[in-house]
Amino acid sequence: MARKRRDFWWSVTLLAFLTVLAFLVYPLATVLVTSFTGEEKRFVLAENYSRFFSHRYYYSSVVNSLYLSALATLGALVVGTTLAFAVARYPLPGKTFLRTAANLALLSPPFIGAYSWVVLFGRMGLVNRALSTFGWSLPTIYGWRGILLVFVVQYFPFVFLLTSAALRSVDQSVEDAALSLGSPPRRTFRTAILPIIAPSLTAGALLTFMATMADFGTPMIIGEGLHTLPTLMYGEFINELGGNPAMASTLGSLLILVNTAALMAQRYYAFRKAYNVVCIQPLTVRRTPARRRLALTVFAYGVVCVALIPSTTILISSFMPTRGPVMYAGFSLQSYQTIFHVIPRAITNTFFLTALAVVLDVLLGVLVAYLLARRRSRAHALLDALIMLAYAIPGTVVGVGLIVVYNRPPIILTGTWIILLVSYFIRHLPYPVRSCTAMLQQIDIRVEEASVSLGVPPFRTFLKVTIPLMFPAILSGAALAWMTTIGELSSSILLYSGPWATMSVAIFTEVFSNHFGTASALASILIVAAFIPLFLTYRVLGERAALGM
Amino acid sequence: MTRVRVEGIVKRFGDTPAIEGVSLDVRPGELFTLVGPSGCGKTTLLRIIAGLLEQDAGSVLFNEDQMDDVPSYLRNIGVVFQNYAIFPHLTVGENIAYGLKARRVPPDRITTKVAEAARLVQLEGLLDRMPAQLSGGQQQRVVLARALVIEPRLLLMDEPLSNLDAKLRVQIRSLIRALQRTLQITTIYVTHDQEEALAISDTIAVMDRGRILQVGKPWELYLRPATRFVADFIGTMNVLHGKVEGPGRGFGALTVVTDFGERWQVRAAGSPGQPISLGIRPESLQLLPGTNAVEAWNSLKGTVTEVVYLGAVVRYQVKVSENLLVTAEIHNPDFSAICGVGDGLTLWFATARAIPMPGETGPA
Repeated sequence: MARKRRDFWWSVTLLAFLTVLAFLVYPLATVLVTSFTGEEKRFVLAENYSRFFSHRYYYSSVVNSLYLSALATLGALVVGTTLAFAVARYPLPGKTFLRTAANLALLSPPFIGAYSWVVLFGRMGLVNRALSTFGWSLPTIYGWRGILLVFVVQYFPFVFLLTSAALRSVDQSVEDAALSLGSPPRRTFRTAILPIIAPSLTAGALLTFMATMADFGTPMIIGEGLHTLPTLMYGEFINELGGNPAMASTLGSLLILVNTAALMAQRYYAFRKAYNVVCIQPLTVRRTPARRRLALTVFAYGVVCVALIPSTTILISSFMPTRGPVMYAGFSLQSYQTIFHVIPRAITNTFFLTALAVVLDVLLGVLVAYLLARRRSRAHALLDALIMLAYAIPGTVVGVGLIVVYNRPPIILTGTWIILLVSYFIRHLPYPVRSCTAMLQQIDIRVEEASVSLGVPPFRTFLKVTIPLMFPAILSGAALAWMTTIGELSSSILLYSGPWATMSVAIFTEVFSNHFGTASALASILIVAAFIPLFLTYRVLGERAALGM
Repeated sequence: MTRVRVEGIVKRFGDTPAIEGVSLDVRPGELFTLVGPSGCGKTTLLRIIAGLLEQDAGSVLFNEDQMDDVPSYLRNIGVVFQNYAIFPHLTVGENIAYGLKARRVPPDRITTKVAEAARLVQLEGLLDRMPAQLSGGQQQRVVLARALVIEPRLLLMDEPLSNLDAKLRVQIRSLIRALQRTLQITTIYVTHDQEEALAISDTIAVMDRGRILQVGKPWELYLRPATRFVADFIGTMNVLHGKVEGPGRGFGALTVVTDFGERWQVRAAGSPGQPISLGIRPESLQLLPGTNAVEAWNSLKGTVTEVVYLGAVVRYQVKVSENLLVTAEIHNPDFSAICGVGDGLTLWFATARAIPMPGETGPA
């Protein structure tokens, strides 16, 4: 008597699959196929790859990318976990400030962080010019040092937040039990606490690794000729002497390979090592000798201050009078006047596209999350994996894939604003899906059954009971999607055309045309705009709920 | 009042059978309990009756109405779930009014009905509270009111007391029973707790591994369990084995020689030489101190291996032979009834208190 009805949820499944296939799987598959295509559209097994690995110009980008991402991941892990432990377990002053500051550091996109370090320590930078009046100079910020600095500062807050959340879920009794059984503190940490928080640590590491692999803006701005996979891919695709889609696709395929492998490795590990922990009394603050307390306080405030430097620099420099890349002391609204006269479209474009993409992400995300949490089947597991893929694939690759697929009949989207919307929508769909799925797993299904048994049909129950209960997750998913979409550069730079430049693209081009004032003004607007929804979510839900932890 | 008939229900989860052909007849207005160990299929059966789960075969009927194609929200049932399933985003009043709103009852009627339901479950004055502000017992009352206020044809309760502490459990249990009697609403109640089942039910069905083993009044199940499983699940049962020797004294009696050499008079049927198993409840055993106190019929001797003194009751584990331990409960024990570990004692029981256990042919 088991009947399979083609009901509403069946249509949602179909819609979700079609969306993901059309806007993610097909473009990525095209990139992969193109990497095996030679001249005159022949199939070649290894022509592009052997070319790639035999030219230092090409293969050095893989080396650079892997090297930088590995170091950045290590750095973010060390700084982030140390800070998390310091805040969770030691009596430091101003913990709320430390937590808030670490959250704020997440707000600016990395390429703006890179730009801010150039504003300070670049050739024409504020600090360098101040020092040069005394005849001093600093080592250069350009190249791999600058990239690494930007990456660590940008991503340690993620590790910090994930580790802090994990530490809150460890019950004090676990530590007490280990200590009472004769395990010394160090051994207790290694054998009892570390294994419980390890999945969160690896999640932070994965996030840092994937994001730094994918980052396009940072090496472009501060790398000065140091090529990573995304920058080289961009260069090969948008080449003034005629692009080379095959080589761009080869680079893209390598990016897909590396990030997907990292994602799968972490998933596999976290799946096997995840423990269900019940926490009643979280780990308590330790009594600490004064000297260690001082050292940790200095460390924590030092780290957090460095993390706040980029946004502070941007905000302040946006009000300084400038000429080209040179900024002068003083107050001026000159930069803001310029952008409102010259490029107001970029601002309205960004708000329009971001808002629309986030609304679509939330609409589809909520429905898909319900499917994944409540109607789990093999098809839905596949859908889950495909959506996670969107999270792993760099924007540059998605951008190239979309251009290649949608610049020929029957559907031509290249050159329209729709292709930007599609990229934003598909790349940030994982945020509401993740937050809502996690929330639904917390909501007892019997609450929904109670509603049905009281006479409310399933779909109305979904609207009347499930949606209100999911509200915090919807809000935080939307805020995260908004925050990450609004500063998106890596696919925007490929997909925008003519009047549809976004703020991120405008900042990028202003930086490259040495208009630092207008770049700072635009970046300031961007940071504030990214901040507002997250701030409101915090106010409504409190810190933990807002970050979906 | 609704009569519920369940006919030949089969349900599998993948390859695992959950219910293997269950039929039931629940009389109008009675409180019918499904009792069994966890995993026996009782909750699955309840969810099928509620329409929250679809059976693979068989039918559910409310009076003469076939319910198989009626979705849950049209069955007009009240369900009380194990962990309350309260709507955390609605106030107490809104929780209770939820089903009425779904039925498009006019607002003024809703107000009076909600107030009435709140009074029934003793929640007056709490209608504006949020569920998080309520104790477990109060939450359970909200859920009860929410299920009753829609005047359902049928009330279904899935382990409604399992999240409450012992004292509240007894309180809410009496409340449920009193309400069910006053409203005369047919109720199907699921529990794994045999004591709760005995205390609350008109009729009990014992389930194990997806099948119904016995249906009857509480005392019928206790005094005449149909199988060893029922005997062990409802209360405790000592099962002893022996052989029929011949007719006993009096009509319908047999003389039985036990495996440990005692000669008993019991009410049972059987022919000489046939093996027989007898069940004796611990509280049916009476105590005589010492091993050679009286050479009486229907006695057994042994050594005490464990004593649990509970005031009103003293419970002994008595080793009768190498591989036979018997539990005896002596009620209202005096000084003379107190023995220590290692003491020898003699237990005896009245002829009618030994229950023939079918399907038991030898030592387990």
